[in-house]
Amino acid sequence: MLLPRRQDLAGDVPTDSDVVIVGGGLAGCALAYFLAVAGVEVVLLERAELNREASGTNAGSFHFQIAIHQLTGAGWDADRARLLDDVRFLSRAASMWMDLERELRADLGVHVTGGLMVAETPEQLDILVQKQRVEREGGLETEVLTGAGLRTFAPYLAEDLVGATYCPSEGYANPLVTAPAFAARAIEAGAAVRTHVPVWEVERLEDHSGGSRFVVRHARGALRARRVVNAAGAWAPDLARANGLKLPLHAEGLHVNVTEPRARLLHPVVQHIGRRLTLKQSANGTFIIGGGWPARAEPWPARYSIRWTSMTGNAAVARRVVPALADVRVIHTWAGVWAGSEDLLPVVGESARLPGYFTFVVPTGFTLGPLMASLLAEQMTLSATTRVPLEYSPDRAPVFAGGARRAVPG
Amino acid sequence: MDLFVVGGGPAGLSAAGEAARHGLRVVLVDERVTLGGQIYRQPGPGFVVRDARRVGRDYQRGVALVDAALRAGAELRCRTSVLSLRGTTAACLTEGRGHVTLIRARRVLVAPGASDRPVPFPGWTLPGVVTAGGAQALVKASRVAPGSRLVFAGSGPLALAFPAQLRHLGVHVVLALEAGPMPRVRHLARILAAGWGNAALLRDALSYRAQLVEARVPLRYARAVVRAEGEDRVEAVVHAAVDADWRVIPGTEERLDADTLCVGYGFVPSTELLRLAGCRFTYDEDLGGLVVEVDAWQRTSAEGVSAAGDGTGVRGAPAALGQGRLAALGAAADLGAITQARADELARPVRRRLAAKERFRRALLPLYAVGAGIYELASPETVVCRCEEVTLARLEEVMEATLDVDAVKSYTRAGMGLCQGRNCQRQVSALLTRRRGPSTYAAPSLSVTAGSAVALSEEQLATLAGTTPRPPVRPAPIGVLADDSVPDQGLFVGG
Ligand SMILES: Cc1cc2nc3c(=O)[nH]c(=O)nc-3n(C[C@H](O)[C@H](O)[C@H](O)COP(=O)(O)OP(=O)(O)OC[C@H]3O[C@@H](n4cnc5c(N)ncnc54)[C@H](O)[C@@H]3O)c2cc1C
Ligand SMILES: Cc1cc2nc3c(=O)[nH]c(=O)nc-3n(C[C@H](O)[C@H](O)[C@H](O)COP(=O)(O)OP(=O)(O)OC[C@H]3O[C@@H](n4cnc5c(N)ncnc54)[C@H](O)[C@@H]3O)c2cc1C
Repeated sequence: MLLPRRQDLAGDVPTDSDVVIVGGGLAGCALAYFLAVAGVEVVLLERAELNREASGTNAGSFHFQIAIHQLTGAGWDADRARLLDDVRFLSRAASMWMDLERELRADLGVHVTGGLMVAETPEQLDILVQKQRVEREGGLETEVLTGAGLRTFAPYLAEDLVGATYCPSEGYANPLVTAPAFAARAIEAGAAVRTHVPVWEVERLEDHSGGSRFVVRHARGALRARRVVNAAGAWAPDLARANGLKLPLHAEGLHVNVTEPRARLLHPVVQHIGRRLTLKQSANGTFIIGGGWPARAEPWPARYSIRWTSMTGNAAVARRVVPALADVRVIHTWAGVWAGSEDLLPVVGESARLPGYFTFVVPTGFTLGPLMASLLAEQMTLSATTRVPLEYSPDRAPVFAGGARRAVPG
Repeated sequence: MDLFVVGGGPAGLSAAGEAARHGLRVVLVDERVTLGGQIYRQPGPGFVVRDARRVGRDYQRGVALVDAALRAGAELRCRTSVLSLRGTTAACLTEGRGHVTLIRARRVLVAPGASDRPVPFPGWTLPGVVTAGGAQALVKASRVAPGSRLVFAGSGPLALAFPAQLRHLGVHVVLALEAGPMPRVRHLARILAAGWGNAALLRDALSYRAQLVEARVPLRYARAVVRAEGEDRVEAVVHAAVDADWRVIPGTEERLDADTLCVGYGFVPSTELLRLAGCRFTYDEDLGGLVVEVDAWQRTSAEGVSAAGDGTGVRGAPAALGQGRLAALGAAADLGAITQARADELARPVRRRLAAKERFRRALLPLYAVGAGIYELASPETVVCRCEEVTLARLEEVMEATLDVDAVKSYTRAGMGLCQGRNCQRQVSALLTRRRGPSTYAAPSLSVTAGSAVALSEEQLATLAGTTPRPPVRPAPIGVLADDSVPDQGLFVGG
């Protein structure tokens, strides 16, 4: 297993750097890696241990299929252009994951198992059919399965499910080791990664004659920086607020159920187009079941606590979709803190009002985090061939006017 | 309901009876098939088997407790496990029922008892290695004696009892090892001085000793098992002399053929429910490790939640009985069923007896205080986490990357399996605390001056407890947990 060594994370904090990244989740670690290999001087500061928040507590699934929350409700024609952009990013993310173990020379537990998105009603099936057309057009391979075809392909699904889409490139990786592997390679490439260094505030300097625009005040001193990246996940808005920035993000606790290991029942990752369910049987036979059920907020550093009804409600949907799960025993539950944006789009880019201050938070951040990190790094090193879309700007107004609809992945 | 009691051992039963006598409406649940807890459950080759009279005595006590509770009006339910506790609401699952029941009470008493202290050493996962509790269960369930040449290794007053009992069942006990020192005159003087009011305990201890002598079972002090050897099961046991901290003295190893190794290094309190309830803890290795903080009426720091018995620190059945009564009297007074003055009056003799027991326990500590060496026996290949098959070498490798208990767990998966860390956590935290050095953690009282609990910071608690407490505390089928009435707003949360 590729992990950064303790002594590498505990050294002195530099006093000056080109880029300072706040937050040692997957976003921060992956960005530090891509910047460092591009030769950029970078310091990453994490308040606790690396990868202990969303990036180390998520379900590790790749969600490449268009999810219902990506639809604005304005109709397929209105959404088409934007969805095609999304699909292109998603299929690039898929190729990137296929290659990531080689790139990092590390076992990340990548399993390409394929993924099903199931529908319970004809209306839901209709959405699947429409979305599949857009996916095809955007270059993501998916197919619609119904009737006997679905039964044969996925005999473990409840018989009365009307259909599903199948995406062969979906699957999962091990979230417990992915960000640390990025961090270890970032350190090799020259990044300074420091843990147990909370950042208190980012102070803007009026006088940039020395080249620095910011002073990053942290628990062990101060650090001058030309550019700052806020990759503090669910806590990013707290950090940004002091600089007068209001990020379109909120923190939410998400619930996951874990079962005892069982003989192989299913291979693909399974999700539901209209209900809160993601489920898979991991390599060791345990089922990981989530889908966006809420957990109760607790003040950091306490872990979010479990809502009993999230455990039982999530279990009900799981049994509804895969009836054979009824006698499989739940042995553990956990809750992670997720940074959601109102429109579910990434919040990535430089703030026009605060040049040099970047935000990097991606809601489906396990799936898309590595890709977005590489794009942002290219943009920051002025070597970009694909620009991060303007819709992702931290300064944007949400795509869904009024933020009337909010969605949660899992 | 006024009082909900988790656990039908001496602590829970005595509390249920006492509370019901003062007019509280009481429900008690226990996940086992029978009531009585560890010691008072059904007759048979249980804890004290010298003769039928003794077996009968414990059984009779159990029956008496159950009868008294029932007569006073308490409702007792077996085969019902408590999966979760939040505030004073408990989620219960009764075997054979297809759903979970939520029970709300004005007060909750958690009396879940204790389980064997897990001690990893090379070979501890070989078939033929059993824990003292496991051996007893085996004997009870099947009436089959474990093995034909048995070595017992362990410590504590009960460690004497086990070989004596097993011997009595026809098991050929070839050697008994006590890690603590040979009792000296000064120890005995202290024990005798504390013996006042504890005649029964003293008599038991002496009788176990006498039984071993009579049966010619060699009992060797200051020695511990260092390794079990064998291909597919135990064939030999290697043991060695240990120093005052139970650290192995090199060059003192001896090897003995045996087909069974029974290990009994005492017990650790069951803390899952109390941790879920958010109670404050202290640390005392000699009481089993994590010990919930309670006041004079057994109330924890969590509103409405009390705790009693071995689950609050392993002190044995007589103390559990007393604590259960105190908890009941406290609840009765709190809920206005009796006056505070009446509670004080009824509690007085109970407190006197508990104080005597505690004196005795402390007098025994110099003999049985748990030594740190017990957590240093594993070799690199030793599988520390059996569920996820994580070796010591793997743990040590990861500890080069981090000394954070959560991170170690997530990198190695140790503690993520079926037992949820019950078997490996103590070893993992011992490894962590050793690396962090004494300055960064309050050294758990692994010393002869034990008996003084150490207050824990959040971080220390996390390190020692390992896992964040999460429901369900017992495995529960998805089909039983599933609740179709919980609204699923789908992926859109209306705003
Ligand atoms: C339960 C759950 C399941 C999920 N399932 C999936 C899934 O299956 N697939 C998927 O694609 N996505 C999933 N997600 C989403 C995904 O996990 C996140 O989008 C992603 O991990 C976000 O990474 P991050 O680095 O931005 O945030 P985080 O991992 O939360 O990292 C932020 C870091 O910043 C640090 N920090 C905060 N404030 C400061 C400060 N002031 N100073 C220093 N450091 C600071 C924090 O300690 C933390 O380490 C899930 C999320 C959750 C919670
Ligand atoms: C293996 C073993 C051998 C012992 N031998 C002796 C001996 O020889 N002599 C002696 O004096 N003492 C002995 N003791 C100690 C004595 O048994 C205990 O001190 C005494 O039983 C403590 O009583 P208690 O009520 O606290 O717990 P227990 O008697 O352990 O009762 C606790 C009860 O709670 C139940 N429970 C726990 N969690 C849950 C849950 N989540 N849901 C529902 N029910 C739950 C358990 O099923 C159990 O029945 C022994 C202890 C053990 C573990």
